[in-house]
Amino acid sequence: MQAAVSAIEYYLPEQTLSTAELAAEFPDWGVEKIDRKTGIRERRIAAPGQCSSDLAVAAARKLFASGACRPEDVDYLLLCTETPDYFVPTTACIIQDSLGLPMSAGALDFNLGSSGYIYGFGLAQGLISSGQAARVLLLTADVYSRFLHPRDRSVRTIFGDAATATLLAGADLDAPLIGPFVYGSDGRGAPNLIVPAGGMRRPHSAESAVAVEDQAGNVRSQDNLFMNGGEIFLFTLDVVPLVIGQLLQKAGLALSDIDFFVFHQANQSMLDPLRKRMGIPAEKFQISLAHCGNTVSSSIPIALKDAAAAGSIPDGALVMLVGFGAGYSWGATLVRWRAIGSALLSNRNAR
Amino acid sequence: MEMDQLLELAPGTLGGPEKLEDLEEWNSTAMISFIALADANNGTRVAPRQMVNCATVADLLALAHVDSAG
Repeated sequence: MQAAVSAIEYYLPEQTLSTAELAAEFPDWGVEKIDRKTGIRERRIAAPGQCSSDLAVAAARKLFASGACRPEDVDYLLLCTETPDYFVPTTACIIQDSLGLPMSAGALDFNLGSSGYIYGFGLAQGLISSGQAARVLLLTADVYSRFLHPRDRSVRTIFGDAATATLLAGADLDAPLIGPFVYGSDGRGAPNLIVPAGGMRRPHSAESAVAVEDQAGNVRSQDNLFMNGGEIFLFTLDVVPLVIGQLLQKAGLALSDIDFFVFHQANQSMLDPLRKRMGIPAEKFQISLAHCGNTVSSSIPIALKDAAAAGSIPDGALVMLVGFGAGYSWGATLVRWRAIGSALLSNRNAR
Repeated sequence: MEMDQLLELAPGTLGGPEKLEDLEEWNSTAMISFIALADANNGTRVAPRQMVNCATVADLLALAHVDSAG
């Protein structure tokens, strides 16, 4: 059996944080200009008390409502999140109960940022091709807004909350529809995108909560997210061409063989130079930032769903997915898009 | 110069001696755009920690080997 993408849905919280609101809040920061560069018009913010599991459940319910499958058909749940509901237990088990998935289903969280969707595909492909699961529900969900200090424009302009649900189902085919995969990790980059306090290494304390203004005028404490945008961009300039080259070599393909590209939606000022550096035509390159911002591991599935809904991905297209971010962590894979409908059909016929 | 365009200022606004701390437009997003400019123009990698030590526009341009008249 080979894994195939059967359906993708996403959920955005109702509350918005628009450019106009940020500009009103920080009139001296030129936020409107920043938003033109980031490509983000508004970000979605989870309501007080709304957690990653709530967003993920909403996304999964949309997927079930679409008719892609029934909750009882799912036999494995993967949740990618950096903002779990609790340290213990794993949020995926809470979601299993909320969605009414079978008690025979496996469920686990994995902690990754913007590379997470690629790793989720790899895990799902392994589970399905090895016969451990037939239908894997891959969820991504984060409430990054909880990490952001209100006076830190470097991250408030960028990040939004979201969740996505992707159904990967087994299709009786000889050739894989997803893959090959290329992965990478470099923990030396950990300090450049981090919430320093709140874990076991440095628990929350009165000291960790002390907010300090940096040279750029942004304010944050050790309990907040810190992002060194420049260092992150330098990392992507090195890693994205490398991972794309490795993936093409592994697949025995050239860049021109790829019909469509969906990168992690970091922000416009990073994506434009990366696209140009790789020589990818703009019409083959998805940008889905304006309505939700950088949603970490949800950004690739949101962009993929938006591109498919807009008719940007032709039937039979070979789509390259590239994720990169906190860790540092990165990964890339290929998806044959035409297989989506037929894989779903074969699963329905098999019932 | 290209710094005018990068910071969305009128052409000819910047000559080089301007202090970065006085430029409202010089922020984290502009730093990313500057890194991209240096990379695209001549493949120079400019690290943020190097930029922190720059006081003026001219210092930045020298760091990236970008022609101030470019």
